[in-house]
Amino acid sequence: MNRALLMRLGAFLAMVVVIGAIFGVLSSQFLSQNNIAAIFRHMSAEGIAGLGLTFVIVVRRFDLSFPGIAAFGAMTTGQLIALGYPLFPSIAGGIAVGIVCGVINGLAISVLKLPDIVTTIAMGSIAYGLSFIYSNGATISDNFMESGILDINDQTIAYLDEPIFFMLVLYLLAWLVLHRSRFGRGFYATGENPRAAMFSGVHVRLYVIAAFILTSATAVWAGILHCAEAGQADPSAGDGFLTPAFASVYLGAALFGYASVPATFAGTLLISMMLNGFTLLSVPYYYSDAIISVVLISAIAVFDPRFAAALQRIVKTRSLAGAPK
Amino acid sequence: MSETILRMTGIGKTFGAVKALDNVDFELQRGEIHALLGTNGAGKSTLVKILSGVYLKDAGEMFIAGEAVTFTGPRDAIENGIAAVQQHPELVPGLSGFENIFLGRETTSPGLFRRFQRDALRQRAEALLTRFPIGIDLAEEIGNMAAVDREVIAVLHALTRDDIKILILDEPTSTLTEREKALLFRLMRTLKNAGITIVYITHRLEEVFEIADRFTIFRGGRNIATMRSDDAQRAGVSIPEMMLGEKTGQLYPDRHAQPGEALIEARGLGQDGAFEGIDLVARRGEILGVFGLVGSGMDELSKALFGVTRPERGDILLGGKKIIFHGPSDALRRGIFLVPGDRRTEGLTLTRDVAFNMTLAKLRRASSLAGFMKLRAERRIAAELAAHVALQPAILQRHAGLFSGGNQQKIVIAKGLYAQADIYIFVEPTVGVDIGARAKLYALMRELSATKAVIVMSSDCDEVYGLADRVMALYKGRIAFESPALETTANRLLTAGIMSAQQAAEGPSAPQVERQPA
Amino acid sequence: MSDTILQPAAPLGVGRGLRQFLVRYSLAGIFIIVVLAFSILRPDFTRAENINEILISASISGIMFLGLTWVLAAGEIDISFMEVAALSDMIVAGLVNAGWGWPLAACAGLAAGVAVGLLNGFLVGYMRLPALITTLATGSFARSIAAVIGLGSSVEVADTGIAGRFLNLHFGFLPAVAVLTVLLYAAAWFVQEKLVFGHYLYAMEQNRNAVVEAGIPARRLTVLVYLMSAICAAIAGILLTASLASGQPRIGVSFFIDGLTAVLLGGMVIKLGQPNVLGTLLAVLLLAVLVSGTALIGWSDWERDILKGALLLIGVIIVVKGRAAPATAQMGGAH
Repeated sequence: MNRALLMRLGAFLAMVVVIGAIFGVLSSQFLSQNNIAAIFRHMSAEGIAGLGLTFVIVVRRFDLSFPGIAAFGAMTTGQLIALGYPLFPSIAGGIAVGIVCGVINGLAISVLKLPDIVTTIAMGSIAYGLSFIYSNGATISDNFMESGILDINDQTIAYLDEPIFFMLVLYLLAWLVLHRSRFGRGFYATGENPRAAMFSGVHVRLYVIAAFILTSATAVWAGILHCAEAGQADPSAGDGFLTPAFASVYLGAALFGYASVPATFAGTLLISMMLNGFTLLSVPYYYSDAIISVVLISAIAVFDPRFAAALQRIVKTRSLAGAPK
Repeated sequence: MSETILRMTGIGKTFGAVKALDNVDFELQRGEIHALLGTNGAGKSTLVKILSGVYLKDAGEMFIAGEAVTFTGPRDAIENGIAAVQQHPELVPGLSGFENIFLGRETTSPGLFRRFQRDALRQRAEALLTRFPIGIDLAEEIGNMAAVDREVIAVLHALTRDDIKILILDEPTSTLTEREKALLFRLMRTLKNAGITIVYITHRLEEVFEIADRFTIFRGGRNIATMRSDDAQRAGVSIPEMMLGEKTGQLYPDRHAQPGEALIEARGLGQDGAFEGIDLVARRGEILGVFGLVGSGMDELSKALFGVTRPERGDILLGGKKIIFHGPSDALRRGIFLVPGDRRTEGLTLTRDVAFNMTLAKLRRASSLAGFMKLRAERRIAAELAAHVALQPAILQRHAGLFSGGNQQKIVIAKGLYAQADIYIFVEPTVGVDIGARAKLYALMRELSATKAVIVMSSDCDEVYGLADRVMALYKGRIAFESPALETTANRLLTAGIMSAQQAAEGPSAPQVERQPA
Repeated sequence: MSDTILQPAAPLGVGRGLRQFLVRYSLAGIFIIVVLAFSILRPDFTRAENINEILISASISGIMFLGLTWVLAAGEIDISFMEVAALSDMIVAGLVNAGWGWPLAACAGLAAGVAVGLLNGFLVGYMRLPALITTLATGSFARSIAAVIGLGSSVEVADTGIAGRFLNLHFGFLPAVAVLTVLLYAAAWFVQEKLVFGHYLYAMEQNRNAVVEAGIPARRLTVLVYLMSAICAAIAGILLTASLASGQPRIGVSFFIDGLTAVLLGGMVIKLGQPNVLGTLLAVLLLAVLVSGTALIGWSDWERDILKGALLLIGVIIVVKGRAAPATAQMGGAH
């Protein structure tokens, strides 16, 4: 491990310690075992959408559709459960919906060459509307207890809460794929220079589609977990995913120099710590959005190389005004 | 009539530890066309950027028309009558010629809320046309114009201030055809007659004698020599030697072709708007050289041979069998590797390190069956390849973008070696690579050709002729000439590649195309 | 003239001109068709009250999206505008309830818009931070502050003051606010077409470097369009407070898709894919008509949302296929 990486790791750990210390002082419960578990549980649900988003950011695109797709997928799963289908196919059905949406996104953006931001805004809106289609928007909770979906939230595997277990598995898989497999190389090649990647035999369009599929699928999973915890499915399952997901990915990327699975893990951890701390301090939810936004902006600004360059320029022109000759 | 319009004395500029300019003196005579020559990093670009106010000099003085000046930014340079045209000028494609010319100068007073009167601009454009008669329809959208017309628009944009005394052109001919270059030179002469001094940076040495009154050679941050072109020509001065500071020696390796089986063949290959009726054969053990200027269809042909585009007519045969490529990955799998013409945008991922770039075209080699990367093996192979191509500095973790042009090209070649192809196609392999690194690249190509088939496509006729065993000339999409190198001359090759000029000069009695059977 | 052989056949002059004509004026045609269709399906549609509602709603939306048009025309993006409207809406409601007069409260709302607009402009124009993430964050921030004011819920306003009276003012059947909107748009059209401002905006979208190199203050231009977008949104927020007789912290959600759809769909009017104020106005009217009409024929909210999403998609396709140069960095595509 080289020096630069060690320094960045150090900066991250320092931030964890600082945030932990601040909240630990302000609230006696923050550092309790229960609460640390709660932080990780938060990461496993709301935070998991950031994992998929990482792939989209790596291929240098944006996706704003996943909150709507999460709602649509989660409602699909809820509907399937209510209709009496077993748990596993119901979840698979929801994820499948997410995958289809991801494919549509990917095709529209990489094949039809539509601009990603507004296209995904449109798709997300359509998906959100479609989430109302089963029950006209009413919550779905039939069969929830019998199906076992609530157990996903409540039970444990290997001493870990199930959601946390799945999160770790997903992160591990994502890390293996993006950073240790030859398939994963293609994502970075596609993002950094798609033309050179094409000349090297990388199927650029497939990677973009794959990235959008991953984002949609993980978002649906996050939505399903949300419903598992709430004990019901409703179209608000995707609310509140958007800003924290982007904040996690960008905060991590700012810390580690570029977007990656470990970086997103770090960013999600920090964001979840903060959100959890605010909840413990009874800070209303609407304040936390503001603080996450500030963190997000600061992260991009401080670590953006252009920011440093702009600062240098401002400093230089000022000193020049007084320079001799 | 010679009057010194610019004098720079003792100019120095340092970037970190590198002395880009070391005690440089430079002067310009009014109304001359003065060429700046030198390899990459020799200092000519730095001097010109100081002149145009983009950089601030660390030492020395500048005098314009006898008066001492200090620049704090580009605006000062413009105020003092110095205008610069970039190598790739930025224009707005959807706007017309005259809108681009007057961009930012639509009104006499600056401000974002001034009236925009298109008709007034049109009239000003007409006035400009009487001053500089050029045959361009200024109402046409820039996006629809030919490259030279865009270049002319960029020059006129630089001249919209009436008081421009010095015009700087940075490699304006790099994307122009021969005929277009002639048009540009005509404009330059018109400007010169109007009293404007032109500073002209170029890599193309033949242009110096064609258009420049005087030239200055830079080397290692110093002004090595300034001479009048006619004096230099008479004295038979070797400009490359002066640029390199030593006897050039042998740039191209000896030919020792042992042509084996035909690895790739093209029969009647055609693509609308690009090329037509292309027959070629590349054999193992020899280098096939293809000479073609911008617009000859060379770049499109290379992409067709690599599966990036599908030709509309004709066949490609690999080992005697007809093949249709399903994209570059298919071509790579079949054993073809392309070193593309633009290494920065097509050849490399500049933000990733050397190993990443080297293995990208055949990741299978650096990974296990299950798909996992073997990082240590990857690093080892990358180190071996870096040594083989003499990458300097051989720091594998460094991002590709931080290497010099020649070394970047070496990384691309290493990528090709890693891909273990049978057929290697090089397009414009030494553009922006200084002479020192070029010899090494040529040696690598020759070495490759011993066991593989190598095709070199370039707009540098000397390079094609010096390197290849068999040469072809591409003109306007068709093969204009073909021959074993030893049975012809570089001049013959050059003539075939620019046949239109020959035809224009000699009329219907122009020499017929010679085509030797493949 | 190109030197290459076998020039591909240029598209027939007549065909191209016809296609362009159709695209330019099709939105107007669609508008007429839709209005006629709803009028026939539901006679209620042409009732005076309904038309009045449509016009008022379209006016407020129109004002909100005016500045946004230029942000998108410049090739950037702003997804904070609707939250600025919500923030302004809440500020006015909160201050009016606290005893401030409407004029002063309105100024405060406006000031909030100026603050966010300057922040956006600075971060995107000078610091060159990515516009999407930046406006995502500033919008989110504005939404938070809006929620804080009402402690998470809406704020009732007893007296809609001068703004309320303005909304009720009519010239014949025409609401005064509609006249105001038309006047604002007329002024904006003048600025866009007759002043260098608009010329530079469209040039910037195609090649920002060229604009910078020509000595045009591109950064200042960027700040200006973000500022205008926020100010327009703030003004709309003030009107919203009066129209709803309350401050609604979550009102932004309803306007998000509408804004982008109106600007992008309107892009095809006259300018074949470049966002422009005339197109936005027409598209806003069309959306208002659709909202009203579909409600009358019994569509649910979510069915309407799907329709709006589809319209946005269509608008995107039109803009992309109509642009002279390939889609630019900030609005979408690889960045």
